[in-house]
Amino acid sequence: MPRYELALIVKAMQRPETAALLRRTVETLMERGAVVRGLENLGEKLLPYKISKHNERHTRGGYFLIDFHAAPGIVTGLLDHLERDIDVVRPTVLKNDPEPSNGPCCGHPVASKHQDTV
Amino acid sequence: IWSKMFAVRSFRSLQFSFSQLGGTQQCLRSLSGSSNVVQKNDDMPLQMENPYKQPQKGCILCNITVDFKNVQLLSQFISPHTGRVYGRHITGLCGKKQREIAKAIKKAHSMGFMSVTHKDPHFMKDPNICDIRHLE
Repeated sequence: MPRYELALIVKAMQRPETAALLRRTVETLMERGAVVRGLENLGEKLLPYKISKHNERHTRGGYFLIDFHAAPGIVTGLLDHLERDIDVVRPTVLKNDPEPSNGPCCGHPVASKHQDTV
Repeated sequence: IWSKMFAVRSFRSLQFSFSQLGGTQQCLRSLSGSSNVVQKNDDMPLQMENPYKQPQKGCILCNITVDFKNVQLLSQFISPHTGRVYGRHITGLCGKKQREIAKAIKKAHSMGFMSVTHKDPHFMKDPNICDIRHLE
């Protein structure tokens, strides 16, 4: 099964509400047959720009990262479900397969910077 | 007269080529005669890798994974005033890494990790790695 990463931006809420949201998100994932690998909290930060979602203008948000393995067919259904959740500001699912490491990186010579040409 | 001269010149050139051929044949005969001596060409250059070769220089992001989560790293390659991504002639990155950085910056923009129009004020004091001088 390919490996995915869900970058979740949630509304700035109190701790029990955030915990409840994460719980139901992970439960949704497991219901659809995904194997959750891990959950990371990137903290509550100021959003880079104001986001309007579900009739609300958000300035702050909690950033979470959920790593999971799933069948490719459930991704669209999952995104649809997350968009409907009023506490979620922006859900994004990305592919996260480990790349095969190529040989020496940057075998190409770097172009010298011309500063004197007028 | 002209034709005669031409004929003479050609004859001379033929003579010269024949003498050369005869000389080399004689040379070869003498070498093959003394077969018990080892035949070596000592004055031919040896085949070896360039001893003065310098190690290949890579760009500054060689062997560093570029991620959309690493907003501080990505912010080093954008303009602090407009948030525009710098070109290859300014960042000095190789083709692969420049594309990775540009893709990661655009990904971070769309996912709500990085601002589009400016650089995060916390990252303003970072060292300048791009070849650009800002007006004070």
